[in-house]
Amino acid sequence: MTTTTASRPETDAHYKVWDVAGYADVPHEAKVRLFEQVKGDLRFGDYLYGCYECGICVAACPSAKFYDFSPRRIAQAAAREDVDLIYQQMQEDIWECSQCFSCLRCPRGNNPGGIVTIMREVAVKNGLASAREALVGYSRIIYKIMSTGTQVSPDMLGRDSFPDWGPETADVADNLDLWRRALPPETMHTTSTGWSVAESTLVELYLIWMETGALDMIAAVDPGLHTILQELMEERLEEEGIEL
Amino acid sequence: MSSNTIAVIGGGPGGLRAAQGIADVGRKVVLVERLSHLGGSPITQKYCGLTPHGDPAQPQIQRLIDAVTANPLTKVRLGTELASVAGEPGAFALTLRDAQTGADDTVECGAIIIATGFSHFDPGRSTQMYGYFEFPDVITQPDLETMLSEHRVLRPSNGQPPERICFIQCVGSRDRQIGNEYCSKVCCGVASKEAIEIRQLLPDSKVLIFYIDMRMYGYWENEIYWPAQEQHHVQYVKGLITEVLPKGDRLLVRGEDTTMGRPMEVLLDLVVLSVGMEPSPGTRELAGLLGVRQNKYGFIEAVGAPLDPVSTDREGIFACGAALGPADLEDTVSSAAGAAMKAVGFLRSLAVATAN
Amino acid sequence: MTIPTEALRRAKAAEEPAADRRSLDDPRAELLELERQGELIVQKIDREAVTVSTKYGREKRIQKSHLWHHKSCGQCGHIPGYSTSIFWVMRKLGYDYHDPRDQTSCTAWNYYASATSNSAAQAAVAVRNFAAAYESGYFPLIHCGTSYGHYKDVREELIRHSELRAQVRAIMAKLGKPLVLPEEIIHYSEWFHALRDEIASKQARDVSGIVVSVHPACHYYKIVPGDAIYDPDIYGGQRTAVVTGLAEALGATVRDYSTWFDCCGFGFRHILVQRDFTRSFATLRKIEVMKDEANPDVVLTHDTGCVTTLDKSQFAAKAHGRNVGLPVLSDAQFAALALGAHPYRVCQLHWHSADYRPLLEKMGVDWEKAWAEFQGDLRRLESGEKRYLDWDDADGVNDSNRPEESPDRHEHDS
Repeated sequence: MTTTTASRPETDAHYKVWDVAGYADVPHEAKVRLFEQVKGDLRFGDYLYGCYECGICVAACPSAKFYDFSPRRIAQAAAREDVDLIYQQMQEDIWECSQCFSCLRCPRGNNPGGIVTIMREVAVKNGLASAREALVGYSRIIYKIMSTGTQVSPDMLGRDSFPDWGPETADVADNLDLWRRALPPETMHTTSTGWSVAESTLVELYLIWMETGALDMIAAVDPGLHTILQELMEERLEEEGIEL
Repeated sequence: MSSNTIAVIGGGPGGLRAAQGIADVGRKVVLVERLSHLGGSPITQKYCGLTPHGDPAQPQIQRLIDAVTANPLTKVRLGTELASVAGEPGAFALTLRDAQTGADDTVECGAIIIATGFSHFDPGRSTQMYGYFEFPDVITQPDLETMLSEHRVLRPSNGQPPERICFIQCVGSRDRQIGNEYCSKVCCGVASKEAIEIRQLLPDSKVLIFYIDMRMYGYWENEIYWPAQEQHHVQYVKGLITEVLPKGDRLLVRGEDTTMGRPMEVLLDLVVLSVGMEPSPGTRELAGLLGVRQNKYGFIEAVGAPLDPVSTDREGIFACGAALGPADLEDTVSSAAGAAMKAVGFLRSLAVATAN
Repeated sequence: MTIPTEALRRAKAAEEPAADRRSLDDPRAELLELERQGELIVQKIDREAVTVSTKYGREKRIQKSHLWHHKSCGQCGHIPGYSTSIFWVMRKLGYDYHDPRDQTSCTAWNYYASATSNSAAQAAVAVRNFAAAYESGYFPLIHCGTSYGHYKDVREELIRHSELRAQVRAIMAKLGKPLVLPEEIIHYSEWFHALRDEIASKQARDVSGIVVSVHPACHYYKIVPGDAIYDPDIYGGQRTAVVTGLAEALGATVRDYSTWFDCCGFGFRHILVQRDFTRSFATLRKIEVMKDEANPDVVLTHDTGCVTTLDKSQFAAKAHGRNVGLPVLSDAQFAALALGAHPYRVCQLHWHSADYRPLLEKMGVDWEKAWAEFQGDLRRLESGEKRYLDWDDADGVNDSNRPEESPDRHEHDS
């Protein structure tokens, strides 16, 4: 799709991916709205004070050594309330962060990694193309964690799932059921989950996802998955007679 | 009973200058110093050259000391601490205690000047990973001054002259996590002065200074900063260091070169931490004993700042020098002279009031 | 010639520890204050505990027994020897525990990877787990470094924000649970550190010839640093003491390397869907540097993500001729081996990628025999003689009743 004279979106409901910049430009108001959501998060005031550009965060950051990523620029952009730069950072930068929190060494007490977390949540909630792209191939994992309360279950170590991890992973896949039964801890004789989770616990978990709006966050990035999970959770809660 | 004597607690540059000022205008002064020598940090920490010109510290401080000890109006009490205070402004009764024997005696005074100075920040408490207590070749500015006054800068690990040296600024200062949110004012000037001295001692050495901002007030810009860069080729890199680790027999420091916008790692032989100022134990003790307000950092609060930088919240009690906060020697002797004037003026006003 | 180097060494040794403002930070005291105000319940340590010192001098207590094992999804999912070793060592020392089914993952792996959650959900998940522990009467012990770090963050958010507390309290009420937090958040490696001398006293294998390099988990010591264990006798109190303290107590030699503070490169999302970053980082910044500078026999770490990253990143790197090839174990597995644990029945090393057999050989473990024993176990499971391996099997209780297993059925080739 070429970008030359194509009309700009009038509303902020459609974020199309444009070839040249790699992402769509949107009206200024849309960028302001996104930033206001970031700033309005409960934790924002805990995560951002001032920045005197010492670079300690970048020095400690693993992603800064691999990508053109800078926690300093994240903090600076947020402090300056530069909505254009922040919008740009929400396209690629924020997904490069390793969420290791090495940047907590900031002498001003800033938390650039935390600011990134908030920016990601806003990107997901608003269904930004960058969020959808970053989570390509990730649906199974969201499904697993939200529906079973454990993540990366043994049966996700498929024969060809992690070829770069070495042949031992294929051995696991080939012997999965047997090797799982060969584990002394009683709770771990499972293959579809990391450990066996009580039914009542799952019900509690579903209630949490629904009550806090966490489930609805994925409606914009993965509507199909959202529908599946919503049906699953609503049904289960109904069975238990729980009202939301 | 009212007294015309003024007590100065602390015998460093501030206390000495205050005592000299009081004696110069014809008043009696008692100078109380807990150590067995006068001169304060420049002498105790063996400063080599004073910032900015690098002139030898010891003779200059000695002149300050001589001006006080030679004056018949001054009484110097070495090895002595303040144990308690009673009375009221104009008529204080100080209980002084011999630090060795524990013997007490009382001294009357009309006004008190706190001149108890500062301590250097303990680098083991830094938010960053400097390994001061792990690696012999990570030292502080005062450690380096001691070496410079012996005219030998050597790597503690092997006793060899270092080829590559760096300074890391703002250690223990400007840090919300530690709580020392202020700037310690002198470390940029001192580091640059020391960098020049190293370059003069070791002409083949490479010296880097890693900083956030360069605090070069007034004439420090042209007297230290420009010559450091232009004549002595000290390299200033804007980007603070976060980690020091051993690599082979050298040290690897890690920071961001913010000017170039990329992470950097540099191999060095010697790392000097520009440690900031904190209130000294003496300052903290005196604040408690005299009931004088401290600011949130523990320094004595100058309640009339900025135009009255020496009055505390207690009548008749004044403070000067680094007991009030980060101060260079010029600040210290200026505020000391100011405190001396204020103290003398206070006693005069009491005398005038009594006369009326 | 007066070289002030000695004077400097002496000055450093004489450095007086100054009172630190951060030693006044006391999340435990803040929780107790909130409890006094009726805002939440604090689960107390109510059995014998070991006192340890943290970074700024605050004392922290580690309950020794009667612990609720908050398991790690990643460990249980694909490094099950890690969880198994934690349980096994605790059993070996005779401390009772509870392995709950009413536990969910902290879900922080997903949260840090995808942000498909929010602060309320994360707090509610945490509190739900803590409530389950509280109701059981067992004190929570956290298996994963990220769970531990994330829960410290959640605790801080709950302390600071009354509206978050109100929201979570309301959700918990619907679940019939209180808003409860433990008085301390304890990581299992802290338990191992606190009991390292007791562990060493029961040592069955000599590791004095083993060289270790330690990788500390970012989420253990970089999030709420004041909670991490520091000890003036280990690294001069300049780096966190866990893992290193245990390795040294067992008699191993710990060697330093110049990227000690670097993250492993797990990345949460990267390890799953953008593995070139994780692999490059783990190889270039950690494994190669360790091999080059420390040349250890084993890399020890104390977090799920770190074990995964460092262990799994080496295969592809080796295919590119990089200087890798270091076995990666958790401190729990290493301690278990030192106490005589079976490398397969307990440490489950067959789930690991990087070759661990030279390490076992150096420790005097006949892995071929051990593998044959384990193969025997598997055959019994296959035949239906047993449904599952149990703790007696793990300790080889019934081994003497069986003929010598043939050692030629191992599945790995170098």
